[in-house]
Amino acid sequence: MTDNLDSSLTTPTVYIIDDDPSIRAALDDLLASVGVKALSFASTRDFLAHPLSDAPACLVLDVRMPEQSGTDFHAQMASRGLHMPVIFMTGHGDIHMAVKAIKQGAWDFLTKPFIDQALIDAVQSALAADAQRKEQARSRLTLQQRWDSLNPGERDVFVRVVQGLLNKQIAAELNVKEVTVKVRRARVMQKMQAGSLAELVRQFDQLNAETGP
Amino acid sequence: MKPPFSALSSNTYRALALVGLCILMVLVFIADTVTNYAIAAAVFHTPLLLIAIRFLSARLVIALTGISMALTVVSVLLTRSGDYDVGLINTGISLVAIAVTAYLGLKLKSVQAAAHETREHLLRLSRLTTLGQLSTSIAHEVSQPLAAINSSAGACQRWLEASPPNIEKAQAAAQRIVYDAQRAKDVLDRVRSITRNEAPASSAFDLNLALTELLSLSSGEMQHHHIDLRLALQTDLPPVYADRVQIQQVMANLLLNAIEALSPPSSSHAACISIETSFLPGDKPQTGKVLFSIKDNGPGLSGTQLSELFNTFWTTKPTGLGLGLTISRTIIDANNGHIWATHQTDGGAAFHFTLPLAP
Repeated sequence: MTDNLDSSLTTPTVYIIDDDPSIRAALDDLLASVGVKALSFASTRDFLAHPLSDAPACLVLDVRMPEQSGTDFHAQMASRGLHMPVIFMTGHGDIHMAVKAIKQGAWDFLTKPFIDQALIDAVQSALAADAQRKEQARSRLTLQQRWDSLNPGERDVFVRVVQGLLNKQIAAELNVKEVTVKVRRARVMQKMQAGSLAELVRQFDQLNAETGP
Repeated sequence: MKPPFSALSSNTYRALALVGLCILMVLVFIADTVTNYAIAAAVFHTPLLLIAIRFLSARLVIALTGISMALTVVSVLLTRSGDYDVGLINTGISLVAIAVTAYLGLKLKSVQAAAHETREHLLRLSRLTTLGQLSTSIAHEVSQPLAAINSSAGACQRWLEASPPNIEKAQAAAQRIVYDAQRAKDVLDRVRSITRNEAPASSAFDLNLALTELLSLSSGEMQHHHIDLRLALQTDLPPVYADRVQIQQVMANLLLNAIEALSPPSSSHAACISIETSFLPGDKPQTGKVLFSIKDNGPGLSGTQLSELFNTFWTTKPTGLGLGLTISRTIIDANNGHIWATHQTDGGAAFHFTLPLAP
């Protein structure tokens, strides 16, 4: 791991946005009682004013609020660079609204009054999903950085190694000495931090799955 | 004491009107034929068409207009006496008059239909939106503190289950529960005070007249659904003492329920709603009551508990809120009356309410 954030910034956090102070206090405390860190806001504006850490997060969002409705805010999140899972809460939920919210990518939809365990379950699964999403993004970034550190000759070897060619064949194809291939191959394994050929192949697939090397 | 019974079937009425009009049209035709060319008896087709527009469907009116014009032309051909040129001009004028009358009449009819549709829509809308808004806002207001109570209770339980239990946090959560329970109670108190504020503005009024007023609003809807309305209103009904508008709302609600019970129409029998009013004498002169009953021959309330009907959120209708009868009972109770439902021997449903007499 290259990042050196302190632990308070890597703790998974639940952001609660509800205009009802009583709900905010209750949800804060409920999540605290199961050891989940929560921060609550009275409006989407307050939430946006708060700096966000890189830690896994999810949003518990009330649908009906005076300034901006939860569904409107949800629709704008991607354009603001927010990708955390959203759990909606509503006091007047109907099927139409729930279907629309889920279609737009909401993680869950809770109708007030909901059972405490329903919120806890939804929050925990959303945090796990966000952690996974962040982890994937991070490993993709690391891999890309490692790929970028390779020089063209090493890349040529890398591509042929994962194709299953022997050192001899690679040397012939690239018109270099076999010992040069061996040296470059060792450099590739070292720079990519791959312990085995199988791992190197997996990394290559992962790189290809995104943008391609 | 027995109320006079007036039966009124719209279908027989229409058939009679059609037969009468045909006879009159033949008479006009004969008059037009036997008189000389100069006498334009054919214009008498126009009042007949005006009557037809009042009672018959647009398609029948157009058919009758065609027949009238054909008869006019035929009678000119059959006529043998008088000034032929004048006759020709008169016939032309008659034909134009007939066509213009039919056109304007049909236009008027469609405008009336649109107006009726709007009124019907309003009648329904005012009931639905009031009930819908009321229930939605109550649900929302109560769901907030309930959600908070649920979450605080969950937190409280977990603080107590923790080892060691966090008593301080648990107490704070319990306090929030008490606070939110009070909030929920405040909402209910507000709802109750709304209904209390709407204390009936009681006055003495004629229940039959209030009913007739309401029926004039909904007659179109009943014609539309081909429902026969049978009225058995006692003529010398003593005035009741209640809130006139509230009672009209209850009657409208019961009437709309009956109309809904009859649509879609049954194939085996004609849809029929009968409304009765009568005086129920009490032990003493001041304990007498007026009884209102509305019966339909729809599917009825088979298998349902009559006592449950008036409970909140109980409904037989797929889109019903289950609030109409609850509110009706609240209104009738507040007006010192009594409302109840019975099964009909022919399978339909019947609703009745009584109201006190004016002092």
